[in-house]
Amino acid sequence: MIEVSGLTKTYGAVTALDNVSFKVQKGQVVGFLGANGAGKTTTMDIICGCIGADAGSVKIAGIDVFESPVEAKRRIGYLPDEPPLYTDMRVVDYVKYAATINRIPAAEIEGRVRDTIQKLSLQEVEHRIIGNLSKGFRQRVGLAQAIVHNPDVLVLDEPTEGLDPNQIVHIRQLIQELGGQHTIILSSHILSEVENTCDHIIIINRGRIVQQGTRDELVGMIRGKKQMQLRVRDNAEGALAKLRSLPQVVHAEMLSPKDQRLTLAIQGGDNEIDIIVDALMSGGFGLRELSGSARALEEVFFELTH
Amino acid sequence: MNLVWAIARRDISGFFNSVRGSIIVSVFLILAGFFFTSDVYTYMLSQSRGPMMGGESASLDQLLRAFLYNLQFLIIMVVPAVTMSSFAEERKSHSLRFLQTAPITPLQIVMGKFIAHTCMLLVVVICASIYPAYCLMYGNPDPGPILVGYAGLILLTASNVAFGLWVSSMTTNQLIAFLFTFLGLLVLLILSWIAPSIGGSGALEGIFKYLATTTHLEGLFKGVLSVSDIVYFVAFTAVFLLFTNSVIDSLRWR
Repeated sequence: MIEVSGLTKTYGAVTALDNVSFKVQKGQVVGFLGANGAGKTTTMDIICGCIGADAGSVKIAGIDVFESPVEAKRRIGYLPDEPPLYTDMRVVDYVKYAATINRIPAAEIEGRVRDTIQKLSLQEVEHRIIGNLSKGFRQRVGLAQAIVHNPDVLVLDEPTEGLDPNQIVHIRQLIQELGGQHTIILSSHILSEVENTCDHIIIINRGRIVQQGTRDELVGMIRGKKQMQLRVRDNAEGALAKLRSLPQVVHAEMLSPKDQRLTLAIQGGDNEIDIIVDALMSGGFGLRELSGSARALEEVFFELTH
Repeated sequence: MNLVWAIARRDISGFFNSVRGSIIVSVFLILAGFFFTSDVYTYMLSQSRGPMMGGESASLDQLLRAFLYNLQFLIIMVVPAVTMSSFAEERKSHSLRFLQTAPITPLQIVMGKFIAHTCMLLVVVICASIYPAYCLMYGNPDPGPILVGYAGLILLTASNVAFGLWVSSMTTNQLIAFLFTFLGLLVLLILSWIAPSIGGSGALEGIFKYLATTTHLEGLFKGVLSVSDIVYFVAFTAVFLLFTNSVIDSLRWR
């Protein structure tokens, strides 16, 4: 449904996107993860035809966004990080305007607007001026203009930004309901949100895709690596050198010389822990404490973006 | 055309439902009334003193022509106030993204804005026609020159709106849009007067005079419907709408 190929975008000397490529299948809900300034919004703006790219292509259902922008945009609903609202309009008028601009036939506009308002629970504010609404309601109105024309593809940039917990839950439920009928790309820097709503995750850092896959695939890619902390009895420097010489130890560093505390990352399973303990005992360093932590998406993200 | 009209309708509705719209319309009509009163006073003075001084008294046609010249100045003040927010405010508030991501072309956006802002100003200009209407009711002026003069005002308004839209599309700051639109329209207005000083004599002076709006309005205010004057305003409007379209289209590539 969405094919992004070799997207590159520079702003002067700054490379915002560097050869970004990915595909999204029909009906998928894809999470676009990245730190601030990673290139998520730039990618989404290009997909939706807001801005152009220096190189590469974007196809929506086989239609090139740069060559046939009008045709491609008919299939897209976009909620940018700042919803494009006309604050002087009433909610219902704005949604009707969105329906008209998105080429819904005149006879169907009223019905579509009603359905959209109902779906997003905007009935109580439909006759209010948008400028007088809270952040949460404005976000919902922004979402309304993105879905009123029932697009094939929904692009949501930080859809739960600034919302209270109840509103976040509501929006997430809505995204889950919309997924399947629509192909959705949503961006976030809140890992739990992406974890809970998305089938597929793309991690972007400094304009490049660093990894993509399902949550389990991403975690499994570095499942073998375990992070451990240990405290030796004495000569932590010597213990550090000994551990670094072991092939099972991927990374080791001193946490606190005063406490004789070290941290290390090891490849493999529980057998490797036996080897490390043997190495420390045979070297006379002793072992006072040993603890480990399981990898989660947060650590995957941290490792891939640092 | 449906989409163009939808954009126009939204902007027109927004303007007339806003405090800004009410203020602009009110100020324009108050100033127009002031100018008309002043012109009538001058007319009546010339009626009473003209024959006594051995000269001719002013005619109603001259009074109305003077009024149209005054409206010309009012228009170059009001157009920047109306067009300054057309693109500048939308770019700043990101609401332009709504149109940029919709399945419409930049030209449709520009035409929608143009129709909206021209209609807004035409409503005001037409409201000011109450003054010539008074003259027609209580005097005997030739209606032909009044109608042609108003046609000239409509052409002037449309061309000024196109210029204002272009300036507004190039900035996110409404004040800058206002200032540069006003300055640009002022220069176009006075170009025929300053042409000899900046262009010397000869071809350059002729070019500057041709570019001035007053050169083409003179004939229209006298009731002379000249094709060359109409072509000037239509071409001026088309050129600046094209420039605006280029700017809006180029926003994607910045």
